[in-house]
Amino acid sequence: MSRFGEVVGTNEVAVNANVIKLDNVRKTYEMGETSVHALKGVSLSVEEGEFVTVTGASGSGKSTLMHILGCLDTPSEGHYSLGSEDVSRLSREDLAEIRNKKIGFVFQGFNLLPRTSAAENVEVPLLYSRPLEPASVRKQKALSALNLMRLDDRASHHPNQLSGGQQQRVAIARALVNDPELILADEPTGNLDTDTGREVMETLVELRAKRNITIILITHEPEIAAYGTRIVSMKDGLITSDTSNQ
Amino acid sequence: MKAHYLAITLHGIRQNNFQAFLAVLGVTVGVSALIVSLGLARGARQSIGDQMLAIGANMIVVTAGNYQVKRPQDSGIAPADHGFLMPDTSVMRGLASMESPRLISDLEKPETGGATFLLAHYEDDPNAEHDHPTAAERLGDAMAGLGAAATLSIEDARAIENSLEGISFVASGVHENARVSLSEEEGGKSWFTRLHGTEPTLPSLRAGWTYTSGRFFSESEFNDKSNVMVLGQVVSDRLFGTNANPVGETVFLWNQPFEIVGVVSSKSWASRPAAGDDQFDAIYTPVSTIHELLNLSKLNTITAAARSAGETSRLAKDITMLLRSRHGITEQMPDDFTVQTQAEKLLGSGLPPDVARVVAGNMGSVDNITMEQLSGSLERANTTMVTLLASIAGVSLLVGGIGVVNLLLLSVTQRTKEVGLRLSVGATRRDIVFQFMSEATALTLTGGVIGILVGISVVHMVGEFLGWAVYLSSLSMVIAVVISAALGVLAGLYPAYKASSLEPVGALYYE
Ligand SMILES: Nc1ncnc2c1ncn2[C@@H]1O[C@H](COP(=O)(O)OP(=O)(O)O)[C@@H](O)[C@H]1O
Ligand SMILES: [Mg+2]
Repeated sequence: MSRFGEVVGTNEVAVNANVIKLDNVRKTYEMGETSVHALKGVSLSVEEGEFVTVTGASGSGKSTLMHILGCLDTPSEGHYSLGSEDVSRLSREDLAEIRNKKIGFVFQGFNLLPRTSAAENVEVPLLYSRPLEPASVRKQKALSALNLMRLDDRASHHPNQLSGGQQQRVAIARALVNDPELILADEPTGNLDTDTGREVMETLVELRAKRNITIILITHEPEIAAYGTRIVSMKDGLITSDTSNQ
Repeated sequence: MKAHYLAITLHGIRQNNFQAFLAVLGVTVGVSALIVSLGLARGARQSIGDQMLAIGANMIVVTAGNYQVKRPQDSGIAPADHGFLMPDTSVMRGLASMESPRLISDLEKPETGGATFLLAHYEDDPNAEHDHPTAAERLGDAMAGLGAAATLSIEDARAIENSLEGISFVASGVHENARVSLSEEEGGKSWFTRLHGTEPTLPSLRAGWTYTSGRFFSESEFNDKSNVMVLGQVVSDRLFGTNANPVGETVFLWNQPFEIVGVVSSKSWASRPAAGDDQFDAIYTPVSTIHELLNLSKLNTITAAARSAGETSRLAKDITMLLRSRHGITEQMPDDFTVQTQAEKLLGSGLPPDVARVVAGNMGSVDNITMEQLSGSLERANTTMVTLLASIAGVSLLVGGIGVVNLLLLSVTQRTKEVGLRLSVGATRRDIVFQFMSEATALTLTGGVIGILVGISVVHMVGEFLGWAVYLSSLSMVIAVVISAALGVLAGLYPAYKASSLEPVGALYYE
């Protein structure tokens, strides 16, 4: 049953189910003679329904962490379990399927396809789901995800006809459309003004309340980090603090 | 799976309208050039072939009798007690020098069922006693029954048709000079012309014929020995005036009424109807009717059509061998017939001026050419043109293809972020390869289809306004579609490979 099918407002409580478990993960980039240690041994567990914000200075390894969490990249060392699956050594194809089914990404630059309507943008992940659903089902799913972002009246608008905040909400709808377990957002408010940034953050808070969805959000702004239920700080490829923010 | 890629492809193409337009345009030019060149090339070939057939280049005519045979007293070749050939065909009716046993049995049981003139023997049977009124006497026309040599039979015609490879049609013929009149009485309007008694297959041998009105006589009219007649255009003009439609009118031949069923004319520039020519200053009736009226059983000619003009010389030899054996002619004996290819006839009487011009333009000397050489020379001229046009098509397709490769490569660069995004939402490398390949193929196929439509219109316009011979085959459309699809696959290969080797993280943050 789809989470969208559930009655709005049911605040399901998570019972200690670990969505994410990172165990001493290292990531090293080899740059010719030198190697860059982007992650130097990160261990992290995230339970279902948590809203984790990750802060830290530029270059501290936040994005690298997110790429590994999102199966866009694999750790050089250590283990990563998503749900019950150890994904640290999966093949490219299996990783692609996990990204498609379990993870939704939100990027700083929105990454919407130009000259493509909001609804079609939201539909893109569904095009890579196997088995492929009929066009009518895909369209209806895209519209209901847009509806959740209160953008149903913008479904046929192209990205250049939408404000930054609206574009980012289209991107969130796209992240949601395949009903993922995990939303990963890398500086989602970085390209938005303060008010619009707040608006987007409130949308995410509301979404978590409605869906009990797990969110990991990266930001370098403390006031954005404050929206999380848990704040993780990073420095030089290591987690320096991990505090609850209820 | 297929629907999956189609959905992605349509997404992809719609966001790159202008690039798509340029790529389509390149392929459109190439494919329309291909269609036009194939259309013109095939048209030219068809036209050359038509003209060759229209002037009868594929005809082989077997004539009863043999001009070359010397009188037996001069040469001693022919046995003294046999008849011999006179140089004038109109009196060569006495030749039965080499009758075979089969020939005799033929004569013993004549099959002319039409009982009107059932007689003991045929008038062209040289061994018979002619103790009854001749055809001329019976029909009351002094010219009836003249001019028939008698060595060829209907069975010879059937043998040529059935036992030789490369013969497409055979028509037997009896030919007379005859006066055809509008009324039975003396002094009415009349025209002195060539009478051809023939078979309903004759039109198949005359590729250049067209009917001004009516049709040729039918199989059943032939079997019924009906008094039906087809007029050559010249005869129709002389008797009924130009632009008249004489179908259904009655004319008289040897005082017998004949119903006109059609008027035949030429559609070729190579043989226009003219007074005195053998095809259109002529009248045609069933040979069965003539045989019946004149009480004859033999043929003057057998005309055979070779499937291609290039084979006439070989077939002429084969026919000679066949007839010699059928007529029981031994090695030292001369033929009792003459086999001529139309080529020899044409070259003897001079080529139609247009053909002569083509020949003169392509060959050093027209003195000794054969129809094979003429045909070959026209083919070579045509091949040169086909090659030229095909090269143009090839070059434009290559340019179109390179255009598609370029645009797709540009698009891979411009769409690196898009590829990254697609990878991040679950696309595999395979998905990316297929996306770019199918985008390329969809573009080239669109270009191909538009190119076919443009090509067809251009071919039609060339045919309409320049009056060139054009020919559009469905095969050329199929070739065009296959080529554009293949072009898409080829053009998509490298860009697709480049796009699919992008790493998700690198591509996502590409600027
Ligand atoms: N693809 C890469 N190749 C080499 N070094 C990289 C690569 N990606 C990140 N790094 C390096 O790893 C470190 C962490 O980067 P990143 O995770 O992007 O930090 P943040 O997102 O916190 O700014 C930085 O020093 C960066 O230069
Ligand atoms: Mg970063």
